[in-house]
Amino acid sequence: MLTVIVYGLAIGAIYAATALVYNVMYSTSKVLSVTTGHIPMLGGVFGAYFIAGLGLPILVGLAGAIAVGVLFNLLTEIVAVRRVLARSDEHLWLLSTLAVATMISQVMALWWGTEPKPFPRLIPQEFAQGIGDQKYWLPVLAAAVCAGSLELFYRRTMYGKLFIATSEDAFAARARGINTDRVRALSYMLSGALGGLAGFAAGQLTFAFFALGFALTLNGFIAIAVGGLGSNLGAVIGGLALGMMSSFATYLFGGEYQQTVAIGILILVLVIKPEGLFGSKQVRPV
Amino acid sequence: MFTFVRGIRILSTLGLAALITLGVAHAQGKEPIKIGWLSSLTGPLSSAAIAENKGVEFAVDEINKRGGILGRPVELLTRDTAGEPTKAVNFANQLIHSDKVHIIMGPVNSGESLATVGVIAKAGVPNLILGALEALTDPVKYPRAFRMIVTNGQWIKAANNYAIDVLKKQKIAIVGDTSGYGTASAKQATEMLDKRGIKPVISLIIDANKADLTDEFTKMKAAGTDVIMPWSAATSLLARMFNTRGEMQWDVPIVGHPALMALPVKPLLNKPEYWSNAFGAGYLTTTYDEQGKLPQRTTELMEKLRPALGGTIDFTFWWVQVGYDSVKVIEHAITKAGSTDPAAIEKAMSESNGLVGSYTTYSWGPTKRDAFPDAEVVMNVAGSFKEGSFRLATGSK
Repeated sequence: MLTVIVYGLAIGAIYAATALVYNVMYSTSKVLSVTTGHIPMLGGVFGAYFIAGLGLPILVGLAGAIAVGVLFNLLTEIVAVRRVLARSDEHLWLLSTLAVATMISQVMALWWGTEPKPFPRLIPQEFAQGIGDQKYWLPVLAAAVCAGSLELFYRRTMYGKLFIATSEDAFAARARGINTDRVRALSYMLSGALGGLAGFAAGQLTFAFFALGFALTLNGFIAIAVGGLGSNLGAVIGGLALGMMSSFATYLFGGEYQQTVAIGILILVLVIKPEGLFGSKQVRPV
Repeated sequence: MFTFVRGIRILSTLGLAALITLGVAHAQGKEPIKIGWLSSLTGPLSSAAIAENKGVEFAVDEINKRGGILGRPVELLTRDTAGEPTKAVNFANQLIHSDKVHIIMGPVNSGESLATVGVIAKAGVPNLILGALEALTDPVKYPRAFRMIVTNGQWIKAANNYAIDVLKKQKIAIVGDTSGYGTASAKQATEMLDKRGIKPVISLIIDANKADLTDEFTKMKAAGTDVIMPWSAATSLLARMFNTRGEMQWDVPIVGHPALMALPVKPLLNKPEYWSNAFGAGYLTTTYDEQGKLPQRTTELMEKLRPALGGTIDFTFWWVQVGYDSVKVIEHAITKAGSTDPAAIEKAMSESNGLVGSYTTYSWGPTKRDAFPDAEVVMNVAGSFKEGSFRLATGSK
């Protein structure tokens, strides 16, 4: 039973980190990008490529994985978000980000291959460690670093306050001279870094596998919907709760119910508390 | 005078008609034989298709260099389905209605084939089936669909027989993944064991991407399992099974799906020795005998294809063999039929018994659409891969 809990926490941490990535992007653009889950996927694949493929030191591999996340998400913002938001208020970004997600998934399948590949051991440790194995606690540590650093960023830095200002009222922020386009681009770069880090930390658990992107996009979305869009605390709680419930459902009922439970949780929360556990109700003046 | 002119006109008309008919016949004689090839060359299920494609292209080149089939060149129309049933159906329709192919090979994967077999059958086009699911062939529903490879049931039967009769195990744990193939195969394996009077001690369905299997293995051990039989083609799941077994230091044999021997499993293993005590369903033609030799029909094709394969054969060779044989079977069927008429091809295929190929000896019949003989399914040792083939498991025929 202890392994059920530990595994649930580990996988929940990956979902939590993905939900945080969603939040950071949403806060400045009001876009729920379908490419979100692909950022950790790229972090894992490129981490494996840099370290195991090119033989680079682990820290260089980590920096490389984060850099790939940053670049990919910046490209997403330029190609699939900025132009769409400039032209329309409709949710066309859903299609444009879906297109980018599909393209990057296919490119990775062609270049990296369609079979999962191993992710290297990051810390010297024997394999038979049970719940003490680094593959469980590295994702948890990464999620904690992502959440902690975001809190520090928002509270203690000027750019963090610019992000908050833009997310609360983009028009007012622009009126005060804030370049909201640049803030949005920076937020996408920041979220790309977080996603790259999360994927790198989770690589030993998930393997370096091109097909993880859409699965993480879905589960990250469920986590943020459960926790509350716009709330980082909600993202963390939602992700961990989703991971734990999926793990217990698999243990008690079988693997075929894993996705059923995940979607069931989403539907339940949307029915009872549509804004999520920690989200705030949208007030619309009439 | 009038009669003479009229006679000249009639003769001219007849002569023109004769010339046109001869011209058409001559053109048809040179009209290429079009083979549609539905192959998932990209996407998540591409490894087997890419290897099969090498065999297919080589066979087409070989036939065309010898003058084609019935003097007609072979034209291969390849469509990359990317492993998606929707694309497979769209391409099947395109091949049938736009390209007007004479026969279709594939798709390579059962999931795609399930979507296309009815569509192709409805159009009356002969179809060589390359998927293992039993439902893909039916002499009544799909009279022109002929299977080239084993059925899923043959894999399961060989594995069951090995686990029970050779390894002498009775406490079987069945493991399937959450895909359609995994759940259906786990159910089929349970039913086949039941016919032998054995009830699995535990049956588990696991998500192919589940990153940790400690709980599943703990449950299997607690149930008294003495052999684990996985029915999944997901190499990541299979590798995690080996890793978990190794980390628990539980030396239970793992016997089942051919994918547990697949090369992509190896780099995912935490230690190479975790791959021991594992046996997958394989084929006589890609199994080394006690002297370390492969059957002649395999080595012959291997040497012919080696330059085209880049020298080293680092993938499962039976994929190449079945691709090559598929085209050769088409050559045989059309030659025997004397034409590309679908009904004639169906008749020719139904009367093809004991057709020796590289992959196996094919036998179809008026109500038999599955060609692979039980006697040529064997058990191989996982981790014994060498040049596309495997070692025979001790005690397997």
